[in-house]
Amino acid sequence: MSKKRNHILVVVLIVALMLTFTACASQTAAPAPAPEESKYPEKAISVLIGFNPGGGSDQLAQLANPFLYKYLEVSVSNIYKPGATGAIAWTELAKQSKNDGYTISVTNTPMLMTNYIMNDDITYNIDELTPLVNVLTDPGVIVVGKDSPFKTYEDFAKAVEENPGTVTVGNSGTGGDDFFTTLIWEKASGLKVQMVPFQGDGPSYQAAQGGKIDASFTNLGVVYGQVQAGNVRILATFTNERSGLVPDVPTMKELGFDVVAGSSRGYSAPKGIPDDAKAALIEAFEKTFKDPEFLANIAKLGQEPDIMIGDDYAKYLKDSETEFINIWNEVKDQVK
Amino acid sequence: MDNILLGLTNVLTLMNILAIIGGTAIGLFVGAMPGLSATMAIAILLPLTFGLPPATGISMLASLYLAAMYGGSIAAILIRTPGTPAAAATVLDGYPMSQKGQAGKALGFSLVASLVGGLISSIALLTVAPILGGIALKFGPVELFAVAVLGLTMIGSLSQGSPIKGLLAGVVGVMIAMVGMDAISGAPRFTFGNIQLYSGIPFVVALIGLFSIPQAIRLIEKDQELIKPGSIKDKMLPSFKELKSMWVTMIRSSFIGIFTGLIPGTGGDTACWFGYNEAKRFSKHKEKFGTGYPEGIVAAEAANNAVVGGALIPTLALGIPGSSATAILMGGLMVHGIMPGPTLMTQYADVTYTLIWALFLANFAMFGVGLLFTRVSVSVTKVPNKVLGPIIIILSVIGAFSINNNIFNVYQMLGFGLLGYFMDKVKIPSAPMIIGMILGMMLDNSFNQSLMMSQGDYFVFFKNPISATLLAIAAFSLLQATPLFRFIRRKIKNKVA
Repeated sequence: MSKKRNHILVVVLIVALMLTFTACASQTAAPAPAPEESKYPEKAISVLIGFNPGGGSDQLAQLANPFLYKYLEVSVSNIYKPGATGAIAWTELAKQSKNDGYTISVTNTPMLMTNYIMNDDITYNIDELTPLVNVLTDPGVIVVGKDSPFKTYEDFAKAVEENPGTVTVGNSGTGGDDFFTTLIWEKASGLKVQMVPFQGDGPSYQAAQGGKIDASFTNLGVVYGQVQAGNVRILATFTNERSGLVPDVPTMKELGFDVVAGSSRGYSAPKGIPDDAKAALIEAFEKTFKDPEFLANIAKLGQEPDIMIGDDYAKYLKDSETEFINIWNEVKDQVK
Repeated sequence: MDNILLGLTNVLTLMNILAIIGGTAIGLFVGAMPGLSATMAIAILLPLTFGLPPATGISMLASLYLAAMYGGSIAAILIRTPGTPAAAATVLDGYPMSQKGQAGKALGFSLVASLVGGLISSIALLTVAPILGGIALKFGPVELFAVAVLGLTMIGSLSQGSPIKGLLAGVVGVMIAMVGMDAISGAPRFTFGNIQLYSGIPFVVALIGLFSIPQAIRLIEKDQELIKPGSIKDKMLPSFKELKSMWVTMIRSSFIGIFTGLIPGTGGDTACWFGYNEAKRFSKHKEKFGTGYPEGIVAAEAANNAVVGGALIPTLALGIPGSSATAILMGGLMVHGIMPGPTLMTQYADVTYTLIWALFLANFAMFGVGLLFTRVSVSVTKVPNKVLGPIIIILSVIGAFSINNNIFNVYQMLGFGLLGYFMDKVKIPSAPMIIGMILGMMLDNSFNQSLMMSQGDYFVFFKNPISATLLAIAAFSLLQATPLFRFIRRKIKNKVA
């Protein structure tokens, strides 16, 4: 082979690579069909995802995007900005994104608030956002492995009472939803456990499943598959009413403690977006939530919808923020 | 049994076979490009598979994962830059071989080892997935701590020349792993008020910087023709005789790969070092490793391909991803509405067994495509250094940016590039730093978690049989490097002689 021909070959290879990239990029950013009458939306909408592709936020966005496309008639594409448990994406949403309604983000509780409550370096807060809708809440649950001696919540509570501070209970990480759920539950019940933070929900419930720790505070959607397979047992749920997915499990309310907790996922926009944009977005979400196909897909994920619209969602975020600030002020000295 | 046969008939459709071959080709290409890891490629391609049936889409991604493991060795051998993190150990013997003019043979060994590793792990996945899956749950924080300690002892054997410099690099690596929010206390460490550092320094960013940039600078500095590996004048496929002496290494590395894949959180990037290190430990020709010894390539490549099947075992049997790439595959299943978990083997058996068979067939696709593509890829080394250097830098920048779509990662990558360049100048090896980074986080978290579980009792690590055994092996491997052992070994040798 001549030297020249090899050069050409290399160039072709590189061009092919670049084309691959461009193809990948343009796949999601296809030009939007122009609407005829209404002003908003006129161009593609970006959804900032503060976590890795394949995570919970991505799952929700992947499910919802086709329906938003259907009802808004512009393309809706994800932009992944993972890092600092979502804070990088949410800081961008609050501080840098244009408030024209074309950039929205999947916002998760409690991380949306606990990020800046716990860390002074994180400077955005929910007052700089326009909460749009909440889509689902993955309720908090207490799980144990199938071989655990705890058959009911009472067994568990009794053991904790007799051995204060030594029963090991996993959570998905300091500052995560399960961490706060455990603290809220401890406060309500007056009991004290040894909390063990893991990196994510998976390692936390797996440690309980394998008998490495006594129990795990985690989320229903996370362990639903394992519950069906009989590998873990749910002792109680932190819900208002019994979940349709596990109707036999008592709620914490029934057990005498008014603790409702979980991890919610919804959508927010930057503060001060135009009223017509906010109205159009909320309308598209409301249509999506009535679409039986969307609801069926949510159910397949082992999730139940928990719809809150506009001001209701804003109030929910604000109330949760107050609760987290109070709890954090009580415990931060012993954690840090 | 019915499910296994059902999967076989499912996979043998034109659509699925095309998806497998397509995935394999993309995987080879992506793997060969420095800075593009299999995990990244799967993440990028995932949205493109949503239009396909679940089994087809996921099979395509799994084939890509497998082929990228081999593809990574192409750049490692030809331009001393691992195409994927999992090929980092292949550089050690692959590049010296290509300098000797045996690039073709080095690639051939890599391809055959990848095939063997991939096939053994596919068979393991197919036959013992439901049984083996249980092991993953036996590894809690206490056991993971012991795994991390054992892993760190590898630094000793990876520091060519000076153990002190190797340890220095290893310690810096562990410290870099500490950057970010502490998972136990939630406190930010070494973040200097910058939230970009809260989730730590992405491992891939450091890897691209440390391995690619110094190489690019070296190429530009030299400004002379690279010693050409020749247009594969030597035959690529090794003869049966050449392979015969390596069966043991290949099979050992395959099992190391399967088990490394099985343990959550560890993948090809760890397995290649384990495989390489164990081959060296058992070899009669330790001194030949690192000088262009085919067995070094075979050890690393069989291990990293075997990881694929191994990592899929807990993913499919339990819904616990065994590596970052399988975590993304799992995300793909969920988008298709399939709940990962033990039900994958029962409720979604059709998809699952189709995927397993697809992986099995992808090994052969990889071998065929590899034979064709590899010859083409040799052209990469014929580009003048002045051109190749900037190309590597551009690809590194693209790779670093594409991880999180964040320009900050590009600066970090370039910073690591400069660090790597100066480390190279003063002969501090970068491999131990990578090991320190991989294991530092695991070491830190599992240590804290273990002590929380044991109410502060340090003996928890010795009371647990698995961790006690692993720690004993680690202690032995440390002692082996001390003068005491050298003395005993010499005595034994003299006696035998």
